[in-house]
Amino acid sequence: MITEIAPAPERTVPAPARPRRGRRAWDEVPRWQIYLPLSVYLLFTLVPFYWILLFALRPAGSTSLVPWPMTFDHFRKVWTERSFGTYFANSVYVGLATLVLTTLVALAGGYALARFDFRLKRGFMLALLCSQFVPGALLLVPLFQIFAKLSMINSLGSVVLAETVFQLPLSMILISGFIRNVPYSLEEAAWVDGCNRLTAFRIVVLPLLRPGLIAVGSFAFVHAWNHFLFALMFLSDQSKQTIPVGLNTLMSADSVDLGALAAGGIVAAVPVVIVFAFIQKWLITGFSAGAVKG
Amino acid sequence: MKSSIRSNRRAATAVALGSVLALAATGCGDDGSGGAGDKGGEGSGKGTITFWDNNGGVRTDIWKQVIADFEKKNPGIKVKYVGIPAAGAQSKYDTAIQGGGLPDVGGVGTAMLAEVAVQGALEPLDGRLRKSSLNGKLSQNLLDVSKAAGGGDTLYQVPTSANNGTLWYRTDLFKKAGLDAPTTWSKFYEAADKLTDKGRNRFGFTIRGGEGAIAPALDAVYGQTGITSFWNGDRTTVNDPKNVAALEKYVALYKKDTPSADVNNDFTKMVAQWDSGTIGMLSHNLGSYQDHLKALGKDRFRGIPNPTLDDGTRVQVSNPVDGLSLFKSSKNKAAAWKFIEFAVSAAENSKFNESAGQVPANTDAAKDAWIQQAEPTKLAAEALNGADTKIVQLPYYLPDWNTISKADNEPNFQKLLLGKMSAKEFLDTLADQLNKAQADWQKNH
Repeated sequence: MITEIAPAPERTVPAPARPRRGRRAWDEVPRWQIYLPLSVYLLFTLVPFYWILLFALRPAGSTSLVPWPMTFDHFRKVWTERSFGTYFANSVYVGLATLVLTTLVALAGGYALARFDFRLKRGFMLALLCSQFVPGALLLVPLFQIFAKLSMINSLGSVVLAETVFQLPLSMILISGFIRNVPYSLEEAAWVDGCNRLTAFRIVVLPLLRPGLIAVGSFAFVHAWNHFLFALMFLSDQSKQTIPVGLNTLMSADSVDLGALAAGGIVAAVPVVIVFAFIQKWLITGFSAGAVKG
Repeated sequence: MKSSIRSNRRAATAVALGSVLALAATGCGDDGSGGAGDKGGEGSGKGTITFWDNNGGVRTDIWKQVIADFEKKNPGIKVKYVGIPAAGAQSKYDTAIQGGGLPDVGGVGTAMLAEVAVQGALEPLDGRLRKSSLNGKLSQNLLDVSKAAGGGDTLYQVPTSANNGTLWYRTDLFKKAGLDAPTTWSKFYEAADKLTDKGRNRFGFTIRGGEGAIAPALDAVYGQTGITSFWNGDRTTVNDPKNVAALEKYVALYKKDTPSADVNNDFTKMVAQWDSGTIGMLSHNLGSYQDHLKALGKDRFRGIPNPTLDDGTRVQVSNPVDGLSLFKSSKNKAAAWKFIEFAVSAAENSKFNESAGQVPANTDAAKDAWIQQAEPTKLAAEALNGADTKIVQLPYYLPDWNTISKADNEPNFQKLLLGKMSAKEFLDTLADQLNKAQADWQKNH
């Protein structure tokens, strides 16, 4: 028996796109033309950080341009004398609670926006967008009165709630974009296999939303971590204040301890930098997915 | 088995999330009662009172000491201290006036006194002060500033401390250049020129061009012309031709004898660059004394009151006065007033101002030894209380003063420095706004 082997189909490799006239291909660009501008930009960005490190690590009164002899006195001072340990713990609590609440509510709201049609849906989306144009300072008095009625003044919960409410519109819009990108047929297949809507969402959709959840969660965390106004207004006890308020107390009306301020700034910045270093891969994916396809 | 693990996990997740929600939603809070409309009451003179420090942070330790002393002497009263960053104090008061949650006692500086008083939040204090042991013990100059800042006839603030415009200069650089101390305006301009060597990045002076630039500029202007009143009838003297000429001369220093970055200088940048560089003179106030001490050591600089005219006449604008106010909504005014009396008593006022580096309002405290040893404070106290000093009262009482002297005119001052506006245009604009604000204020008073 003769087995005829059919000739392999001829593979047609598309010709590489020819660079347009006047434009050089990426490989032809000399490396220095890429690295020089990037280095200048990096220098421009990093010099202020170096300056902060310098002030934080050199002794008070030193004018040296290198942090030598190095001292950690400013860090000791802000952490112990100026209660930054307490502020740090409070900020972690506010940041994480805002992250959890924002993500949960945005997931529920975003799912509804993505999967259901209801009356005034477009109007609701528009209202969400418009709410982004209202500065928080405008709502301070009504928010204060609401929290006062709920006996929540001077409680970290008031800050968490206020931060969550302000984060929700954007988070919901982003999450609804991510959910829309997940084919509905995947959920339908899960229903056929016996899942209810919630289980199908948890098993099928949720894992695919990871980049989006990381983007929204980190955005909520960083915003809550850095926000000064709500913590200043709704909290009075020193033991309940957060890092941004603590940083402001390092600047009096006419005197600033620059060493302590720089050390406090580093304490405030390091967690955010670490968080971003770990999540940047998903963050970029998440934001670009939501932005382009949403 | 698998399903049991899964359901346990689910339960744990639900409990964790529920806890977060519950914690976030409730927490231990209070109802923030006490807005501007509340009448409050005298109370029993015992119990807990709340004190807001409008310059929290740097002054927290010394206030806690004062509070500890007070609680030791008054065992029936507890003081709850709340330190508010200086930058957010005005907003915090404004929100509490509208929304509730005002303290019993609060630090209210003259710069914000009118705005708080005009909303009906403060208790008039003249009567209480007359019957108090403090009567006759407080600097009359400072009481006048406090009354003027509150709107004229009523005292809404018991002054605790005064600041004063101070010319800080580098004694080492002056000695090297063979210059006299810049005690007069002529010597000041001469030194600014001689100490400048742009090629070596050395400058005679650093000018405040950013946030907070207006008051120091007015101090320099009135100091040079010797005009002693801010108002001539209903019109301000700010755009008097003599003042225009003085301002032209002052801003001409920019870039000639100052760094060009000064156009964005707020006090933080200005003090930092003076402390770490080679600039001859800095015009700020007593508040930065400790920063200079830390950076330069005590032998390389001096702080003297702003220069005088050549004949020795000293004219200066009124500087913000710190003080304590009693809030109308307090339900325990008797205890709150006791705390104010105690905090401004000679011993406590002295202790507080020694730490803050300011001039005590209590005249007995102003005689204490530490003032004699801290030269800038001593000279400032002499200038403030000196019979020959003429103080031009800035209109802190105008509710629009903060807007006019900050948001409205700081950008114009930058234009003036950059040569995009003339001194006359700048002062005419300022004068128009002030005259209108004064007319409005007079209509309502």
